[in-house]
Amino acid sequence: MKSPKEQTLHTRRDFLRTSVLGGALAYTVPLFLEKTFLCLDTMAAATSGQITTGKDGTILVVLQLAGGNDGINTLVPYGDDAYYKARPKIAIPKADILRISDYAGLHPKLTGIHDLYAQGCLGMVQGVGYPNPNRSHFRSTEIWQTGSDADKNESQGWLGRYFDNCCQGSDPSSVGVAISGQTPQAFASPTPKGVAFSNPEQFRYMSEAASDPASADMFMRQMNQPTDAGHNSLSENSGGSIGMLSGPADDDGSTVEFLQRTALGAQMSSDKILAITRKTKSSVNYPQSQLGNSLNLVGRLIAGGLPTRVYYVSQGGFDTHANQLPSHERLMSDLSAATTSFVQDLKAQGNFNRVLMISFSEFGRRVSENASGGTDHGAAAPLFVMGGGVKPGLYGNYPSLTDLHDGDLKFGTDFRSVYATALEKWLGAPSEMVLGKKYPLLPFI
Amino acid sequence: MFSPFPEKLWDRKMAAHLLDRAGFGGTPAEVDALVGMGPERAVNSFINADDDSDLFPRPELLMPEQRLVYKQREKAAATEDERREVRKELGKAEAATMLELRLWWLNRMRYTAAPLQEKATLFWHGHFATSNQKVNDSYLMWQQNDTLRRYALGKFPDMLKAMSRDPAMIRWLDLGDSRKDHPNENFAREVMELFSLGEGHYTEKDIQESARAFTGYRINYEKGQFHFKEKDFDSGTKTFFEKTGPWTGDDIIDAIVSQPQCARFIGKKLWVFFVAENPSEETLSGIAELLLSNGYDIGATLSTIFKSAAFYSPKAVHHQIKSPIQWIMQTTKMLEIPLPDARVLENSLASLGQVIFAPPNVKGWDGGRAWISASNLLYRYNLAAYLLSGKARILGGGNTKTAMIPLKTIAPTSVRGSSDQLLDELSFRVFNYPLPPKDRATYLTFLEKHSTPYADDTVRDLMQLMMSTPDYQLT
Repeated sequence: MKSPKEQTLHTRRDFLRTSVLGGALAYTVPLFLEKTFLCLDTMAAATSGQITTGKDGTILVVLQLAGGNDGINTLVPYGDDAYYKARPKIAIPKADILRISDYAGLHPKLTGIHDLYAQGCLGMVQGVGYPNPNRSHFRSTEIWQTGSDADKNESQGWLGRYFDNCCQGSDPSSVGVAISGQTPQAFASPTPKGVAFSNPEQFRYMSEAASDPASADMFMRQMNQPTDAGHNSLSENSGGSIGMLSGPADDDGSTVEFLQRTALGAQMSSDKILAITRKTKSSVNYPQSQLGNSLNLVGRLIAGGLPTRVYYVSQGGFDTHANQLPSHERLMSDLSAATTSFVQDLKAQGNFNRVLMISFSEFGRRVSENASGGTDHGAAAPLFVMGGGVKPGLYGNYPSLTDLHDGDLKFGTDFRSVYATALEKWLGAPSEMVLGKKYPLLPFI
Repeated sequence: MFSPFPEKLWDRKMAAHLLDRAGFGGTPAEVDALVGMGPERAVNSFINADDDSDLFPRPELLMPEQRLVYKQREKAAATEDERREVRKELGKAEAATMLELRLWWLNRMRYTAAPLQEKATLFWHGHFATSNQKVNDSYLMWQQNDTLRRYALGKFPDMLKAMSRDPAMIRWLDLGDSRKDHPNENFAREVMELFSLGEGHYTEKDIQESARAFTGYRINYEKGQFHFKEKDFDSGTKTFFEKTGPWTGDDIIDAIVSQPQCARFIGKKLWVFFVAENPSEETLSGIAELLLSNGYDIGATLSTIFKSAAFYSPKAVHHQIKSPIQWIMQTTKMLEIPLPDARVLENSLASLGQVIFAPPNVKGWDGGRAWISASNLLYRYNLAAYLLSGKARILGGGNTKTAMIPLKTIAPTSVRGSSDQLLDELSFRVFNYPLPPKDRATYLTFLEKHSTPYADDTVRDLMQLMMSTPDYQLT
């Protein structure tokens, strides 16, 4: 019987030989790479307290509602007259509300989300925000993505710091996947990790640009193999440790090695993701929308066994300054339908219990409607937590609609408490290392 | 510390290094011209290049008076819906002029005969890291760019003072609301933390006191210019860096730059941008001393650096990761093609993580390894494939057209008969640097499959291969 360590090494070696370097090329895997992967696995295990075991680890899906979702018309305080007073044109009639409590209920188009609540796998954290709220999309998004205080500037993303602290050395697609043309700032770290793509068919080397694509592909792989030269410099410079792998460059060889490792990681990720998306089809129908397509893709990647633990998707269009009833209705309807499909998909795969999805938006909107039948930038708002491990219910209190801060709801729960809860209770990661401070954990898991 | 680089070692590799770092690269012919000049004259040709602003007339911008017309229309509108319409129109005009502005600067970088001026302007843009995402005004962004260019190779204290009066900066760091009875500390903090000293070299008290000195700095929106509002200025005594007096904002800046730490901080950033990461303690003190002895004259300082042996050390040459802008400039110059069309250019720089006039945050671009992720490394490879092949679907379709690569110039008939000659010719153009033996062997194996004289397709495929490598990301 092999020890787990030997098995890991064996698997990695096989994987590298067969899938990455390609059957056509009978190259041996450089020794330093094998060692690297072994060290990295061990280190990741030591850091995070649990080994990511590919097909059975827990998964976090972060859903960004970009533009500032109107939280008040999402989780509606229908039991409060102040709501109807503040929003004579755009308040949702009591009769249409999907009730959660005597005070709050869901937007009528969130039927699927309401069902998930009834089935016991949806929670709503109320009044989430941060001190000294900023009403700029740009700045408030940055605050949410980096987890920084409003009066501090932090350039690394909260997930980037999680990757750095807990997922060192895995190939990038095993660390985090963002369904997006650009890497979200939440993933930012000194040495970027994770991958971002909107279409898996574009996340690959386009060898067909060449007049002889097969040869272009083969030679590209050959040129992008780390050399054994890396072996010497790696062990010399890092004293046998693998700290160098993600640390800052401080010697000559390491920039090239860094590029070589990234190139290899890119190929591994691309090969894995394409192999999965080309063979895996969803068993359920998703709505034909950006969010529907993104969650469909995440569903297929999970079904195909990608060992990634963090996915990032987004839905845009929430900046509803004018005539918001029809546009917000469409957004709610899409959110509900896409989430419902995703849940059905995960359940059909038997993966539902592995997944936690958290939604967030850079801010909520003002309590009072504006003169155009819309709402302007606000502050605190509710967010959804959904998944097989979620305890259903309302968390935190609904902020008062009359005791306001500059016309906005006062926050009751710091958004970093939500992050800390997901990190500690779901991903099993030390949240203080990632967030820089201890934040109270919430009981939604 | 900065002993001059020996003339006898001056060759194509060294000249190309200067061309890449003091500018945005170029063709083998441009490298050879520098080789002929020798290091001293070659460096001077960058430092003393004639300003060619007249060749790059200001792009179409949304001028302050045009903006006022929108504001007046908004005010005059009868309903909220009409007002919203006006704002929407303004937003569209703003977006269109910002696009013009970005293209204008990128083309200036691509074609200027004074590349160091543009390179240094890009450096300062990353340093002062003002984003139009908050400023929202193409005219103010252009004005800041113009100011940065004017001082790019001048004296740093003058630039810092100009930046404190720059309308885009004033809006970016909330200086415009700062008044005697309610000083805003944002600018006062960042001027020390990000622009001059770095964290830990001042106290919170220094921030509070200096914030009072920067009160009354305003934007005159009708003219899009700085305006000092005496009434809002706190003329009382302040204690800053242990000296007490009725300090003005300029006094504060003078006090900041007289701190030796300021020269170290600016010196390190210059070194990392132009030379190499992680300068030694010795290098750091050397460059700080150099800056101080030159009275913070950036041009004079860079001149000494570019002529020094340290600049051409093996740790510096071909050891820097190309920024996305450096990548696109060096690539199009080397291929002798114009910049790709606006849509491809915009999408590419966004995907690669360097949108000018929109740095990611107040700290600017991290640079170095932060430029490279698995996704954008693949994107770099594919962008090269797209530029070489002109096949639109490589970058996801559309009707974009790329310029034809002048393959007869890049690989003249005279080198197509021998694999060694072709490789020498192409590798110098593409990498500006000798090929590692293992890479050379691989390229030779590739060429073995093709017969001489090598066809255009072979040349193109070989260049695609060369550009799809970790090595090509270095400069």
